[in-house]
Amino acid sequence: MSWNKVAVVGAGLIKMGELFDQSYEQMAAGAFAAAMASVDRGAPEIDACIVATQRGSLWGQEGIGGNTVPSALGLSGIPCTRVENACPSGSDAFRIGAMVVASGVHDVVLVIGVEKMRDKSTQEGLLARAAAGHPLYNRGETAPVLFAPFATRHMHEFGTTPEMLASVAVKNHHNGCLDPYAHFQSEVTVEQVLSSPLVCSPLRLLDCCPQTDGAAAVVLTTAERATEFTDKPVYVAGFGVATDHPYLHEKSTYVGLPATTLASTRAYDMAGIGPADVDVAEVHDCFTITEILDIEDLGFVEKGKGGPASLEGETALDGRIPVNPSGGLLAKGHPIGATGIAQITECFWQLREEAGDRQVTIRNGFALQHNVGGRGSGVSVVNLLTRDR
Amino acid sequence: MSADVRPVGVVGVGVAAPALRLAPGEVAKVWGTGGGRGSLAVCGADEDTLTLAWEAAERAMGAAGAAGDAVSGLWWGTTRPPFAEGPSHAFLASALGLSVSVQGALCAGSPHCGMEALLAAWDAVAAGHADVALVVASDALLPGLGTAGETTTGAGAAALVLVASAGADGNGAGAPARLVSRATRRLPVVDRVRGDQEPATGDVYDGRLFREEVFLPLVADVAATLGTRERWALADPDGKLAGAAVRRLGGTLVSGDTQSRLGDAGSAAALLGAAASFSSPGTLGLVGYGGGRATAVAVEVTRPVPGAQIVEELLSGGSPVSYTDALKARGQLQAQTDPIPMGVPPGGAAFVRGNAEMLLLEGARCRACGTVSTPPSIHPHCIGCGGTELDVVPLARRGTVQTFVVNQTMPPPFTAPLPLVVVDLEDGARLMVQGTSADAADLTIGDPVTLTLRRYATERAIPVYGYKALRTPSRAAAGTTTSGRPVEEVAR
Repeated sequence: MSWNKVAVVGAGLIKMGELFDQSYEQMAAGAFAAAMASVDRGAPEIDACIVATQRGSLWGQEGIGGNTVPSALGLSGIPCTRVENACPSGSDAFRIGAMVVASGVHDVVLVIGVEKMRDKSTQEGLLARAAAGHPLYNRGETAPVLFAPFATRHMHEFGTTPEMLASVAVKNHHNGCLDPYAHFQSEVTVEQVLSSPLVCSPLRLLDCCPQTDGAAAVVLTTAERATEFTDKPVYVAGFGVATDHPYLHEKSTYVGLPATTLASTRAYDMAGIGPADVDVAEVHDCFTITEILDIEDLGFVEKGKGGPASLEGETALDGRIPVNPSGGLLAKGHPIGATGIAQITECFWQLREEAGDRQVTIRNGFALQHNVGGRGSGVSVVNLLTRDR
Repeated sequence: MSADVRPVGVVGVGVAAPALRLAPGEVAKVWGTGGGRGSLAVCGADEDTLTLAWEAAERAMGAAGAAGDAVSGLWWGTTRPPFAEGPSHAFLASALGLSVSVQGALCAGSPHCGMEALLAAWDAVAAGHADVALVVASDALLPGLGTAGETTTGAGAAALVLVASAGADGNGAGAPARLVSRATRRLPVVDRVRGDQEPATGDVYDGRLFREEVFLPLVADVAATLGTRERWALADPDGKLAGAAVRRLGGTLVSGDTQSRLGDAGSAAALLGAAASFSSPGTLGLVGYGGGRATAVAVEVTRPVPGAQIVEELLSGGSPVSYTDALKARGQLQAQTDPIPMGVPPGGAAFVRGNAEMLLLEGARCRACGTVSTPPSIHPHCIGCGGTELDVVPLARRGTVQTFVVNQTMPPPFTAPLPLVVVDLEDGARLMVQGTSADAADLTIGDPVTLTLRRYATERAIPVYGYKALRTPSRAAAGTTTSGRPVEEVAR
């Protein structure tokens, strides 16, 4: 029996991209307006806000508190807390928002993710993380280094091929063409992926998600009050978060991310379902290999079979388990704090069957949202949503 | 020598040279003068005099069977230490795993310092203040652009392990070689100099003047006092002087091949040039020169000194490097971009807490489950079972590649292609460290790798040292088989 104590009654995002013309505050306001406008019976009064921003350092506001966002939304004065938990910052903010509502302290909670990835150059932004962490034992650990070693090993153990990796990029770029909010709106071919420049062997440029600015927001309330706001609430069926050791040399395996398995097991147990009950999944595909690891770690396919499953279309819109109908991080983009909330938004639309050309078939009424990241890819969050109370 | 000093023997020898080789003609193409035969050893961007010294010393200790805690003193000669003022000796001693109470000295300031280190170590052992002395001479000098020195300056290091021991007897006891005589001469003249504010070394004022009035008279005079004329290993600042000196002295120049391969290794030149000859019996004359001083030392070799047999193999080979790549590696050609800073400042608390465990390459082994967590300071609990009963242990230096990536583009101070390698060490510990560009093209899961000290960065004039995973070459593997008997058995 699913948890279902909290419902999503509104969700929205802004068009993702290199939004050089928009400030952090303007992006937040755009996502807030979209979410509020989506609430069927009109914009509710917000009692509290959780904001997810993972990289304040990329727009000169490292160490900020939660007060920037309410001010930008005309809500200054409300309770607001900023959540920073690596790439799952947005999905963890959602989980925390759900717990806040379930606690009975606040009835209507705005969870908003906002991220500026392009206010600093790549060199001063993402590449500067090559100097973060232990001064020697992860020196040079850029973002792809967190996942590429798993590709090397996955290929070695399971015969996963570059074509299999490329098929993930091809699918997600295709889906992105059907999502008006996606950063990229163009198809790519396997050949284009395989001939794109090597970034971090064995990953090539088109195996990697772009650096994207963006914002997304959802409105949560109690399951009891949900129908005050909409006839089609989407319920929080369960969630799970898990951690793993923070350095790559401490991993117990290089063909999977145990934090994802642990987080999803907790979420499935909370929702009383299994992976076979999931109709659609928005998963963390920062790199093509990540989606292959994810679909194995989340239980959609057997360990080692993620590559062939992707190549054979099992994860396509009309496949056995559609994955990343929004275009995923690879095509929609990865504005880190906003990413999880944007994925929740897609799940909200899919379960309400409002996803237009990219709508997948909803059979069991369950959608899964997932992020994984942080140092050593050691933080994972899984949220499960359902349309049935 | 008075009767109450102890005789001193040599029980191990080790050498090191960087892999890059610059043809002097490449330099001549740019500046129009110089040129010449042979090649010049050039440090990669992550190598310097300290990493070369470490490599040579590790080999000498391994050959002598001398563990770090058995060494009583480190005497290191390098013309230009990594810190003009700073903890050069402490860094090297730590990385070699020597005891915290290790004695010794850093000799610097001219290429004569290699011999100064040898004499000082000899004296300490002879006087009974040290039982096992490690002598290292290393240099990787930075020649001024367009100087004559740029077509002759090389790099390299050599190390000896000395113990109190009479020469070998007929039964194989005692040290295989011993130090027998020595002499020093001085002439207060200006030769190669680098001022305090200058980044690189200048030329002698007049090459002919230096040759005829300084080098040859001084070297010939001091060498003649040894009373030997069998085999000579000589400092050779321009690649021709040693030959001229030996023509005056008589005998054979054994350091010519090394000089021709590596160029002038500065303070290491004499020891490095002699190293291969420690494998064959007879008398060796070593003559170092620099800063208006020359020192000659006679060594009597009775049996092959452990480590000497692989010197030839270690110094051969190398990879050609272009002049521009050599300049980039030496830091004399830099892009005008801001390098990515270290995550924490190299002079800061994280390095005060962590430098020893990084230089010693330590892990924390769990008493309950045996898992090794690395490094100890960030692991108060075992990563395997959460236990807190942990013993700090030195990690194995060899292992195999569990998995890896190669960063294909990296901004300064990184150099691409940059491998990052997860290594399964022989002792069961696991580490992720950088690899080197040389291995990037064809690194494979399962490859054997050796953890080797390298310079990770230089920030605010502070070099940062740590280990990198280098694919184990067959020559290094051969090095493990040449260990002599444990040094304790020889020393007395």
